Amino acid sequence: MTAIRTENLSKTYGHGWNREATPTVRMLNLEVKEGEIFGFLGPNGAGKTSTIHLLLNLIRPTSGTAYLFDRPVAETEVHRRLGYLPESIILHDYYRGRGLLDFYAALCGVPADARTARVAELLKLLNLEDAAGKVVAKYSKGMAQRLGFAQAMLHDPDLLILDEPTASLDPVGRKEFRDILLGLKRRGKTVFISSHILSEVESVCDRVAILQNGELKRVGTLPELSSGRSTRFVVKGLPAPLMEALANTAAQVTLTQGQATIRCPDEALRQTVEQMLRQHGVEILRTEAETQSLEEIFFATITPPPKL
Amino acid sequence: MKTIFLIASDSIRALLHQRLLLGLMLASLALTIFFSITMSSVRKNITRTYNDDQMTNSSPFMGTNQMSEGDRRKFRESMESASTTFQAMFYQVASFGGSIVALFIFSTAVASEIRKGTIRLTLSKPVSRTQFLLGKYLGGVTVMAAFALLTSLAILIFAQTQNLELSPVIKWAPWLMFCRQLMLGSLAMLLSLFMHPIIASVLAFVAGNGLYSPPNPLYFILPSYKDFNVFFQVLQGSLLNARDVAWLSLYAADFIVIMLLLALWRFRTKELV
Repeated sequence: MTAIRTENLSKTYGHGWNREATPTVRMLNLEVKEGEIFGFLGPNGAGKTSTIHLLLNLIRPTSGTAYLFDRPVAETEVHRRLGYLPESIILHDYYRGRGLLDFYAALCGVPADARTARVAELLKLLNLEDAAGKVVAKYSKGMAQRLGFAQAMLHDPDLLILDEPTASLDPVGRKEFRDILLGLKRRGKTVFISSHILSEVESVCDRVAILQNGELKRVGTLPELSSGRSTRFVVKGLPAPLMEALANTAAQVTLTQGQATIRCPDEALRQTVEQMLRQHGVEILRTEAETQSLEEIFFATITPPPKL
Repeated sequence: MKTIFLIASDSIRALLHQRLLLGLMLASLALTIFFSITMSSVRKNITRTYNDDQMTNSSPFMGTNQMSEGDRRKFRESMESASTTFQAMFYQVASFGGSIVALFIFSTAVASEIRKGTIRLTLSKPVSRTQFLLGKYLGGVTVMAAFALLTSLAILIFAQTQNLELSPVIKWAPWLMFCRQLMLGSLAMLLSLFMHPIIASVLAFVAGNGLYSPPNPLYFILPSYKDFNVFFQVLQGSLLNARDVAWLSLYAADFIVIMLLLALWRFRTKELV
């Protein structure tokens, strides 16, 4: 079973009479498996938040469909398995921290006798015990973000959708957040994170998707996304004619104590270089697939915006 | 049903934390008290003037404090008329204040949640849009019921302290005022799903003051608040009976249900970001 599935999901704003159409999500086909931590990346305006709003049924798709646990997102019941933390969270500020969690727990159907214990457990987990009796209006941004995270986890959902979850957290908070996510993963929960903080996504996510202008550009695990992009051949000695031939390609050659390392940034070049090495009878000591960082993958994927 | 009550209780809590609403309620109460004091002094002046007239016209044989049967009746009728008009005007003022409060409550109930973005969290829980809207309406109804109760208590206390006898028309006033406010509220809530709450409130208020009556077909399309206004009934000298009140209640219920159904239709398809 998939936790999230979209089929040709599209959203266009302002279509209709006398209004210019602005597509924000275009023919999105995405699958998030149960139990994985999935990173959803893209520059500002890529359509990440719109996709999340479509998944939550807050906005209607122009075409296509979205499913949570193989049920249409319009079914309210499927929300029993869902926890959501919005970007720049705004909470009902007339509650005290504990009261707000109690209200949301009741909405989620947490039984009254289990509610107090569950609320206390989450307040402790998110270091909000001291602020539990404080009015939410007096919470700092970071505290509100923690409280928002707590409300998303109240009913121990199978799927968490987190939109920029660490935007207001300090480094300590981010570390704690990462640990909580890894704990959730160990328990088989699915987490869908939209974030700009690439290092954070890289450290916790099993798979990532990169979106730009509403289009899904790439999706896969980090090795999948970086494989075929950069390969290193470590060889024993390089004959001069081959050195010259390699100099005319994009391959980067580094010589070290009788060995040479040839770095091929893409798959086509890798094949060419490998052929050249074999033609010259050069012994390949080892071939290393160079894994790119998520940041490298991200910038290699997105088209930079036109310069003004 | 439990979810609707939870949303309603949250809505009441939110309303009680709205400074502007509390300000409006206090202003409405202050206006009512001010009006009551003014009317009370007017009533005393009428009594004093009548007594002065008696003094001037009194016969030396009958004594200064003696009144003929006809004079007594005239005085009693004049006092009853002043009293009923006073009570009706009391409700006119209270009803106007209540209408402003109702428009504020219902036009912002859903719209403010959408504007602030808090609706996104609530609807990410297993809460349907229908439950959300009905919960919000129920919360507003509860606050308005409390307000109507307070106003009724106010007139009872005032009538008691001023030795006023409540007229038969007046006894229906709180209920009719409550019905009128719920009608206004349901229309304001519907309109607020299409436009800014302030514009929605103004339109809802204006739409119902067309003074249409049957058989004018507009009466059945546009809301008509006229018959819910006790002041008009008193001025026209028409006394409301239980049948009239039942008919008006039915009209209000019918109107509210239609408005809520339209609001639900709109809300279910509305983009909530």
